[in-house]
Amino acid sequence: MTGRDRGAAAVLLVFGLIALEEAGRLRFGSLARPGPGFFPVVLAAGFSLVCTGLLVIAARARGADAVSAARLGWPKIGATMAALFVYTLVLESAGFVAATFALLVFFFRALERQRWLVAVASSLVTALVTYLVFKVWLNVQLPAGPWGG
Amino acid sequence: MDLLHGLAYGLSVSLQPPNLTACFVGVFVGTLIGVLPGIGPVATMSLLLPITFAMSPTASIIMMAGIYYGAMYGGSTTSILVNIPGEAASVVTCIDGYQMARQGRAGPALGISALGSFIAGTFSVLGIMLLAPPLTSVALRFGPPEIFGLLLLGFTMVTYLTAGSKLKAVAMALLGMLLGTVGLDPIAASPRFTYGSVTLGDGLGLVPIIMGLFGISEVLLNIGQGVKQEVFDTRIKGLMPSREDWRRSAGPIARGSVLGFLLGILPGIGAIIPTFVSYALEKRIARQPERFGKGAIEGVAGPEAANNAATGGSMIPLLTLGFAPNVVMAVLLGAFLIHGVQPGPLLIKEHPEIFWGVITSMYVGNLMLLVLNLPLIGLWVQLLRVPYGILFPLILLFCVIGVYSESANVWDIVVMLAFGVIGLLMKRFGFEAAPLVLAFVLGRMAEESIRQSLLMSNGRFSILMTRPIATVLIAAALIVVALPVIVSPVRRLLRTVPPDDTA
Repeated sequence: MTGRDRGAAAVLLVFGLIALEEAGRLRFGSLARPGPGFFPVVLAAGFSLVCTGLLVIAARARGADAVSAARLGWPKIGATMAALFVYTLVLESAGFVAATFALLVFFFRALERQRWLVAVASSLVTALVTYLVFKVWLNVQLPAGPWGG
Repeated sequence: MDLLHGLAYGLSVSLQPPNLTACFVGVFVGTLIGVLPGIGPVATMSLLLPITFAMSPTASIIMMAGIYYGAMYGGSTTSILVNIPGEAASVVTCIDGYQMARQGRAGPALGISALGSFIAGTFSVLGIMLLAPPLTSVALRFGPPEIFGLLLLGFTMVTYLTAGSKLKAVAMALLGMLLGTVGLDPIAASPRFTYGSVTLGDGLGLVPIIMGLFGISEVLLNIGQGVKQEVFDTRIKGLMPSREDWRRSAGPIARGSVLGFLLGILPGIGAIIPTFVSYALEKRIARQPERFGKGAIEGVAGPEAANNAATGGSMIPLLTLGFAPNVVMAVLLGAFLIHGVQPGPLLIKEHPEIFWGVITSMYVGNLMLLVLNLPLIGLWVQLLRVPYGILFPLILLFCVIGVYSESANVWDIVVMLAFGVIGLLMKRFGFEAAPLVLAFVLGRMAEESIRQSLLMSNGRFSILMTRPIATVLIAAALIVVALPVIVSPVRRLLRTVPPDDTA
């Protein structure tokens, strides 16, 4: 329990208090006739209380991280998430095949440093095959987009 | 319908071609994702949920269940050959399984885990058949106070059994229930926390949350850490364990089967904890405990039997009470509900084809798995050589397809991505995802049952203490809360459970 824990507990506590405030706007009802707000208020209050407890425990603990967590390559994680987010935004307008092709080229070429030919070819094949399997064969709903008809 | 009659009827259902196919697809996919590290049964079952829309309810449940117990078989292969657990329930198998592989005994290790799994799987199917029907009659006496008591017991067990901070687990369970209140109130149907959004009006989806917390976050963690795969490069020969191997393994398999099955029935346990308990038990009663950790076959046989038996045991609460004792069963419950079938005490009467069909299919599926995992082991070993750089874009893509296809709403993908990041942060800060997801699923049931109980009793909580079954359940929950103080040895035993307790 260290600075990292204090930060995490504080963020959760703030979330809990906001939730409590928001839940307070719902009709609470009475114990005999509990309304829509009853359960959320109890939960948000309990959650805030537990988070306060976590904060107190973290604040009492001293010293640096006992076990420092393994380092993570945040740039790569960030790039992956950003690519997925952009993909989600254009998915319906560009259609599944085009958007997926672009996403996979980015993953294979930019993140995994495959050769261009390999990246483009495998992305194209993967995008088409998944479309055929899921949309045509399994009849799963996927956005067709302007080219998919 | 008596037992043999039910059994015969079940076999006639599970051997119908569509159901047989569903069973095969389920166990095949289960083995596949079991072998592949980084994607587990929870994410896969959610992913394939939309595909079952077109199938009959029986075939869908058969397939879903197949993925779960199939993953238990596949997971051990990766543990033994790569020393990375293919999925969380085979963490323990790494300890002695990998050592056996290093000593050139990969074959018998794989063999005993598949055969041990088969024996345990068979045992648990028999157990379900014997226990489930009488339990349904008890379950019929469950009203809102009893259901609330059961849920309370479930939550306390999940929290008690988490490896890290118990308080963090409580926080996650409360957060999960809180997230579950988004959408329409279950009794008055008035909107809560929706802020005028149509997407939020339906509540947060279970599939995006699960795929985010268990799929995306795992991939992100692997990308960030850089996965190293070193497949143990020896020819696997002689899968059949020797007579000596059998002599050593018979006891562990028998104890693992009983232990796994009984623990699996309890709420909150899942398939992971029984493996640790089994390993600890075998080590404790062994004549030469120092052999453990150095390639003792008992350390593979016991836990592998335990996780398979546990998958069967955990089906019991779902089939008889409609209660999901762990996250995997929560997804299975979702699959039932999507098809308009309510699992619970009436299932055996109203849908005998599902009840008996699913149970007997598990037996058929275990036979298929034996074939898939012994003669075809080479296939799965090849799969372990696929680099992660090629796997991870595909896993991410399947997560997106799974979430989008369920609702055709891109906002659900955004929810999944958000929970992917939340899940990664949770892993970094030592918060577990399992209590959150389980509470998210059961929260609605908890709210309904407590509100109905209060309506019944005119606002008096004493209703929870005056009905015998409810009283027993709540007393059990209180005992679980008090347990750490009373028995610290048990606590020390369970502390060996790793934080990544996903099922």
